[in-house]
Amino acid sequence: MSKFLRRLATGAAAYALAAAAGLAPAMADTVLKFISWQTDDAGTGDWWHAVIAEFEKQHPGVKVEFTKAERGSYADTMTTLFAAGQPPHIVHLASFEFQMFADNGWLEPLDAWIKQDGIDLTGWAGQQKCQWNGETVCIMMNYFGFVMAYNKKILDEAGVAVPTSYEEFLEAAKATTKDLNGDGIIDQFGTGHETKGGAGQYLTEMLNYVIAAGAYWTDSEGNITIDTPQMIEGLKRWKEINKAGVGPVDMTASDVRKLFADGKMALRLDGPWLYGTTEQGLAKEDIVYVAPPLHPPVGGSSNVLAIPVDISDDEKALVRDFIKLTMTPENQRLYATMGGNTPPSPRADVSGVEKTIPHFPVLIETMKAASEAGVDRIPTGLELNYNEFSKMIMEETQRMLIQDLDPADVVKTMQAKAEDLKS
Amino acid sequence: MTDIPVAGRRKFFDLARPSRQHLLGYILIAPAVLMVAAIIVWPLFVAVDLSFQQVKIPRLGAAGKPFSVANYRWLFSSQEFWLACWVTLKLVVVVTAGSVVVGLGTALLVNNRFRGRTVARLGMALPWAVPEIIAVVIFAWMFDSSFGLFGWLAVQLGLSGQMIPWVSNAGAAFWAVAITMIWKGFPFVSIMCLAGLQSIPADYYAAAKVDGAGVWQRFRWITMPLLMPVLGVTVVLTLLWVFRDFSIIKVLTGGGPLRSTQTLSIMTYDQAFQYHNFGRAAAVGVLTLIICVLASLLMLGRRSRSIY
Amino acid sequence: MKRTLAQSLALYGVVILTVAMILFPVYWLVVTAVTTTDELYRLPPTFWPDNPQWDVFVRVWEAKPILKWLANSTLAAVGSVALSMLVSVSAGYALSRYSMKGGATMGLFVLTAKMLPATLLVIPLFSIFSGMGLIGSLWTLVLAHSTMIIPFATWMLKGYFDTIPRELEQAAMVDGCSPVGAMLRVVLPIATPGLAATALYAFVLSWADYAYARTFLVNSPDNWTANLGITTMQGEYVTYWNDIAAASVFVALPIIAIYLFLERYLVGGLTAGAEK
Repeated sequence: MSKFLRRLATGAAAYALAAAAGLAPAMADTVLKFISWQTDDAGTGDWWHAVIAEFEKQHPGVKVEFTKAERGSYADTMTTLFAAGQPPHIVHLASFEFQMFADNGWLEPLDAWIKQDGIDLTGWAGQQKCQWNGETVCIMMNYFGFVMAYNKKILDEAGVAVPTSYEEFLEAAKATTKDLNGDGIIDQFGTGHETKGGAGQYLTEMLNYVIAAGAYWTDSEGNITIDTPQMIEGLKRWKEINKAGVGPVDMTASDVRKLFADGKMALRLDGPWLYGTTEQGLAKEDIVYVAPPLHPPVGGSSNVLAIPVDISDDEKALVRDFIKLTMTPENQRLYATMGGNTPPSPRADVSGVEKTIPHFPVLIETMKAASEAGVDRIPTGLELNYNEFSKMIMEETQRMLIQDLDPADVVKTMQAKAEDLKS
Repeated sequence: MTDIPVAGRRKFFDLARPSRQHLLGYILIAPAVLMVAAIIVWPLFVAVDLSFQQVKIPRLGAAGKPFSVANYRWLFSSQEFWLACWVTLKLVVVVTAGSVVVGLGTALLVNNRFRGRTVARLGMALPWAVPEIIAVVIFAWMFDSSFGLFGWLAVQLGLSGQMIPWVSNAGAAFWAVAITMIWKGFPFVSIMCLAGLQSIPADYYAAAKVDGAGVWQRFRWITMPLLMPVLGVTVVLTLLWVFRDFSIIKVLTGGGPLRSTQTLSIMTYDQAFQYHNFGRAAAVGVLTLIICVLASLLMLGRRSRSIY
Repeated sequence: MKRTLAQSLALYGVVILTVAMILFPVYWLVVTAVTTTDELYRLPPTFWPDNPQWDVFVRVWEAKPILKWLANSTLAAVGSVALSMLVSVSAGYALSRYSMKGGATMGLFVLTAKMLPATLLVIPLFSIFSGMGLIGSLWTLVLAHSTMIIPFATWMLKGYFDTIPRELEQAAMVDGCSPVGAMLRVVLPIATPGLAATALYAFVLSWADYAYARTFLVNSPDNWTANLGITTMQGEYVTYWNDIAAASVFVALPIIAIYLFLERYLVGGLTAGAEK
């Protein structure tokens, strides 16, 4: 019996040792943990890798561990890490997420550093969104404007011109929605929007029509401005587009993009990131990018970099260096050439990018248009409750679509509920 | 049993002595209790503690906020909570009933002797081995509103005029979730029932047949009563699984449309990770736990002693 | 038991139909993997693509560290099986042989463990594990999974041990064996089917976990288990369903194989336990 037990014990010890060996981290280097959802993205992901490589070269003995957490559960992954006191060293968050972390005092204020290092942030697109309670808590990584991409072949076949207004857009979508093989089921769609999934993306797509109708959730002082004739018009248009049967139902934006990229859809309103998808699609040659027919276009802040309070001062210094590296004119230019994004830095040299990315001037144009119109996805005054607010809006909008309600009534419900939220 | 003189081992730890048997028992069960205590009970206390604080995101180790029943007050007066209770009840009943019917049915089927029976038995319960995430991936695709197989089938079979919007129609969404859960849940019932069926001695059936009992009567008077204990436990475990499950609903419908598939566990998650209100999430979670305990006690009742 | 031809046909018919319906989603998974995305987004759905892209498996295998993910899942599962078996065998044996005070309450207490939603446990558990310095390591999964498995495994094993007559141990102890020795050398060998059943149950449960892996391993991609790895294949902007289906096939195969291999023990082990 003792022999058996001894063998058991040795086996267990061996197993424990083996596993522990797997546990021991490489003690030599300093490791900075950097979590993001963009690690694998065509273009932007490559840019991050390039910056990381340069950073590691400049700081021998420091390694950046770049890990992916998928976007769907990104916020709660980050919440868990922060709540348990184990945030990543380099904090990457979407522009509608960081407010809650800032409000909890988890993000390091950056003003002292900005002043000390003489970093000039004037004209840095979207940077004002990084102010929280009078302090700068993050650096804006991307501020974008929406574009419209269309499939030239489909439009030509239907004899439709490129739309330049909402009415033309709707008509073009209707004209290009067809059942191609006669089995009674539509295979080609005029356009498509996200109708399944999270509220964040749903609202972004709604904003295409809402903003163009001259409406927005709040005004610059944070008052709720939903119960307005412009918002009614915006909702009316969203309802029209959805009820016209010109798009697939219950689809995530991801699937909609795939459909469009593979040539099964005529028009698509989306952000600059659409390019990465269409480059890999079957209809690559037929797709053209232009400014959207809706003015002003949807746009806004996309994602930010921040520093957590809970790391050592040495590590904070390293992270500051990293952030500074992303902001150099060279890397900002690289953001455009490699990532196909509009760099937020006003000093970025974006000449010649259109050689590799032909529609780049359109991106710059819409970004400026959105920026000038002060457009953003995050309504002033509702930053902390954005998740609840957006979920409420999505629900009431879905209710409007499902139960065929009158937009004039729906805005009153939304206004009341939004005001409840704020209080 | 007489004392066995074991050389060198006397006194307190002579576990062979009958009076020390109980000690050995406690020692043996200690690891289980300790592990469960550390990894389940302590977090449970933390959760209960949180539910009595008005806290958004807790910082463990930091001083807690003052005691308050605001979360519970919000909970009981919130329409969302009662809707979630109703949805959870509906789902639990439908999925448990469905799993039992399909599970028992397949077990009865496979209990017969026929060629290829082993293969059939393996095939019937295979969904149990498929990880939930993968099951959800494939069912989500089959339930796609524009290109999914199920919608297309419905059109072909004349059950519907057009592709079914599985996610934006409340009824369809509920059934999409229920069907996926039944597919994932019934194999466990099937395996347990098969085990139970095989432990029923064949003589009982033989004797009943001699007495002239028909198939239905044999089922009603022999099979069902003898299967009841196993079935009882299985129903409770399945029920608890439906209560707790979250990834199937989250990925298929996210709780929509208009919260028609939002169960208590989805609501707990949303409160915690979407609205960042851990106090409320904890309150919902604690209440869910209480409901589960009550439900289990009700179902097993006097028989709970017989489990252990 | 004689059957008429009609009855036989009916029986076989029902069986084949049922198995086909049940296994259809698994078949569909494979079909989705080898269909081009273009063909996927089309109706009527292709039941078998004209141009099956078998190279999707090669492509996904090379693009993603599937082998590492599988290895991690296996490590976590093996660890969970070992730990939970150790604990459950002891506890199940104790409950079977020793009528202890509060046995039933202990039982219900252990069952309660199955009633808690993961959302509630995640942050405190994260805190415990990070206090122990385990975050990012597979040990978190071993501990968390074992705790999930122990309640039911204990119940299963207790039932199984109940069917083994105590006379066997008593005879051994008369021969000079200690109680623990009797358990190890006499009872356990006989209980192999029950042990195999519990091991299978533990393995499947550990392999199936996603919630804990997602929370505790987020910082260490080297330790990602298979389920976690698959979900990270969902891009922010686009998701390639055929790739995910292919990866899912890789992940489902091992566990299905193990299930097929050990299933007979499962029913046998439960049968003995179900006899009350």
